[in-house]
Amino acid sequence: MCNRAPTFTHHDTGRYPTVSDVTLESLTKTYGDEVAVDGIDLTIRDGEILGIVGPSGCGKTTTLRTIAGFETPTHGRVLFDGVDITHVPPEERNAGLVFQSYALFDTMTVRENVAFGPKMQGIPKDERHERADELLALLDIGELADRRPTTLSGGQQQRVGLARALAIEPHVLLLDEPMTGLDAELKARLREEIGDLLADLEVTALYVTHDQEEAMAMCDRIAVLNDGTVEQVGTPAEIYRYPANAFVANFIGSSTLLEGTAENGHIDLGYAEVGLEAPTNGTVTLAARPNAFDLEGAGTIRAEVTNVTYLGDRTQLTATVPDGTAVTLQADGVETYQPGETVSLSIDDTRIHILE
Amino acid sequence: MRWRFEMTGTSTPDENGDGPAATDGSRSVDPRADGGVTETASATETTTAEAWSRSETALSTIVGRPILVGIVTIIVAFLTLPVLVTFVSSFAQSATGVVPRGFVTFEHWRQVLGFGDHGVRTNALPGLAFSLAVATGGMVLNVIIGVPVAYALARYDFFARNWVNTFAILPLVPGLILGIAFVQTYPNHGRSALGLIVGYCLLKSPYMILTVQSSFQSMDLVRLEESARSLGASWPRTFLTIIVPHAKRGIVAGCIITWTLAAAEFNFTYMVASGSPDPFAIFLYRNISNATHLQSAAAVSVYFVIVVAAILVLQLLGNRGFSTAQR
Repeated sequence: MCNRAPTFTHHDTGRYPTVSDVTLESLTKTYGDEVAVDGIDLTIRDGEILGIVGPSGCGKTTTLRTIAGFETPTHGRVLFDGVDITHVPPEERNAGLVFQSYALFDTMTVRENVAFGPKMQGIPKDERHERADELLALLDIGELADRRPTTLSGGQQQRVGLARALAIEPHVLLLDEPMTGLDAELKARLREEIGDLLADLEVTALYVTHDQEEAMAMCDRIAVLNDGTVEQVGTPAEIYRYPANAFVANFIGSSTLLEGTAENGHIDLGYAEVGLEAPTNGTVTLAARPNAFDLEGAGTIRAEVTNVTYLGDRTQLTATVPDGTAVTLQADGVETYQPGETVSLSIDDTRIHILE
Repeated sequence: MRWRFEMTGTSTPDENGDGPAATDGSRSVDPRADGGVTETASATETTTAEAWSRSETALSTIVGRPILVGIVTIIVAFLTLPVLVTFVSSFAQSATGVVPRGFVTFEHWRQVLGFGDHGVRTNALPGLAFSLAVATGGMVLNVIIGVPVAYALARYDFFARNWVNTFAILPLVPGLILGIAFVQTYPNHGRSALGLIVGYCLLKSPYMILTVQSSFQSMDLVRLEESARSLGASWPRTFLTIIVPHAKRGIVAGCIITWTLAAAEFNFTYMVASGSPDPFAIFLYRNISNATHLQSAAAVSVYFVIVVAAILVLQLLGNRGFSTAQR
């Protein structure tokens, strides 16, 4: 592990101030009749990693490509530190890109790949090679500098891709599903390492992924996208604990939606009561996490188990509560359950959230 | 971003398990840990060797491999024998049927090249040089035109793309027909070196476009281009320093095919060439139609030698600094 700090300083082109935030103003992108991005307002703050998560086709990659300059928005603006760069060509934006497919230059060595950006910035050969070597050492692949990308493993190639994007000292680093092609074990390790590295470098970064767990682990804040619009923006904890709506509640972790009637400080589910105060009386929707239902204690809710999935450290159950709703429950992996069995549940009020 | 950080974390540098070798259960070789992996690697080799030796007993291995090798040998021999016999014959003094006798003489080579006492008694070397230059001109023009066309066809999904694709292959018409069309359309300039260069380019362009296009299609063109541009390279610079070098193999293959075919193109040359100096194809024609068996063998051998030399030169130029050469 490299313990020395790189000695090179910010390559100030004079074009941008040192603060580096990115703002999207009512960004809209349509392809014919199809709306890919529908009026997104979003800010990536200086030095933060903002995650964009959402299902396929929600507009997350289009958003990233618009910031990079490869898509021109139909409406709206892209601002770097308040400067409108909507129509600035990609090569003048200083936005580092990391792809799922790595897209390394096979005709060059690893060092030349990393030094390519600095070369375009007109930095002399010795200096840019020194910078490349420092970054490669920082990413723990200093020994690979003279190799060709085709001879590297997927994880190594992705490190080279990251080093190459960091070498231009980007205004914003754009990562497009960078870990999707890697296996689970390596992904977990890279996630930790790269997350730490980006935080240490205080890089302003946009992290696009369909994997909500990856986003929760890597990002300071997360924007949940659906159908081209932002459903919610917040820290991973905010989004998990206080999902704004049913989509977020289901996309980030799993939730069971419960219908109830709010009256005077509590919510009546019909078969049980929840001690939460709704803003208004009347019908409300609640999002319950799997651990909101307690199987251990002496519960009063009778539920019939319909499905059992053993996951090693825990068991996930699906059970039908008296009003017919199928709820997802979580039990420790010790006790066994059978489909058809009747269990008694109690509700933990603190793990239930009223959707607005 | 700011470069003021201190790496204090102690992450594991080990990258095992995600390499291509991981698929067969072995561990990929970690470049940072030279020791420690040898054992696993040799164990894998042993297992593989055992698996192979077991499969030696399979019927398909016992019968199939010799049959396949036999068929390939016969086909290769069938295809190369005429070339070899012709080349050898060109140095023979006489021939009984097709069997050459009386070696070695350079008489036939001298005669076809125009230094002999009989046959075509004009120096063939200026004509050969002219032909090589014209074929090279056609090839260069093909690179200049064919590479961007192949790029556009592989990269963009534009209106009438399929039509352009069809038109790019359309010059696969016979040289004779293109020659007539050429002379009819450009009566004043058709019969010139420029006419030959343009004609060869047009006639052979499909081979360049098809090989380069398939080369482009096999890479992640869009991502490569976007990587380079995000790193600060303008579009022309991206095209010339990233895209074209990645397609080098296809371009070299296209060059070899277009050059060789242009150098030997007879029909078009016959229609368009002005006659002075005699292009290579005409030289071949004269020597084959008005000469003995052995003399025409020498003429054809001249072509073989030139083509082999050209392919070697193009290969060497193409492989210089090429990525996959270093492993």
